[in-house]
Amino acid sequence: MVFMLRFGLRYRIRNAAELRSRYRALVRESDGPVLICANHLTMIDSALVAWALGGSWWWVFNYRRMPWNLPEYNNFASHWFNRALAWIAKCLPIVRGGKRSEVSGVLKCIQHLLSKGETALIFAEGGRSRTGRIQLDSIADGVGRIISSVPGCQALCVYLRGDRQESWSTIPARGDSFYVDFELFEPNSEHSGLRRSRDFAVQVVEHLARMEERYFSQSGVTA
Amino acid sequence: MTKDEILERVIEIVRLYAKDDDAMEAISLETNILQDLKVNSARLVDVILAFEDEFDIEVEDEDADAVDTVGDAVELILAKVG
Repeated sequence: MVFMLRFGLRYRIRNAAELRSRYRALVRESDGPVLICANHLTMIDSALVAWALGGSWWWVFNYRRMPWNLPEYNNFASHWFNRALAWIAKCLPIVRGGKRSEVSGVLKCIQHLLSKGETALIFAEGGRSRTGRIQLDSIADGVGRIISSVPGCQALCVYLRGDRQESWSTIPARGDSFYVDFELFEPNSEHSGLRRSRDFAVQVVEHLARMEERYFSQSGVTA
Repeated sequence: MTKDEILERVIEIVRLYAKDDDAMEAISLETNILQDLKVNSARLVDVILAFEDEFDIEVEDEDADAVDTVGDAVELILAKVG
């Protein structure tokens, strides 16, 4: 996969060494469950995030640290072969927008895995942003639900964007160079029940929105 | 509070989020909120939070999993308001 990203599609992660060093330090020092919450613009964002944070060889020797993903079932798991590949790549297919009771089963798997020290990656907006920017009015229910149900769960917000990525797409432009940044924080809420989960999800998306603002202010692109 | 009173208020709340006007006109206890009224799953959470405010109840994530139809919502609220 990394070979394809790096040499086939000629992608480049800016400051990759520094990012990976920071991520490895975070992993070493973290003493609680971590849910990676990323923005979402292309269908290969989860692979790009994993590549940016860990490189390739590091994941080989730290397979347990590789995050579980929740790809859309219809994109990745409609055939048994793809399902097998998805399992090896630590994917738990989920039907986005599906019945809550069906989605709930997958989220419970992720909750269990996090409580056992595994890591998972979820897109806080639920799907690829149709505006190309963090959508504060499109908040995935699952993010807050997972954080709410796993004691001490922290959110590692990851903002990823290709220099030539103006809006959403299937994959980034060939040869694109990626800005990646991440910040760890522990959401807090005075609410309980469903409102607590929603509160957590909103905090994560708002955090990503602040990271996006910083990206655009640094890059000099006007919003 | 009677089941009919709850149903009436549930319909008024759901109306704010429904995207299918025809299905809204024919709404019944069997109407599926996601599929028939085209409310997306994220908005379903907003609907249930609106129920919390309207009926002064608290809904857990697991309770919300059981809400597929208008009738499910009415039963959930009925159980919560006692």
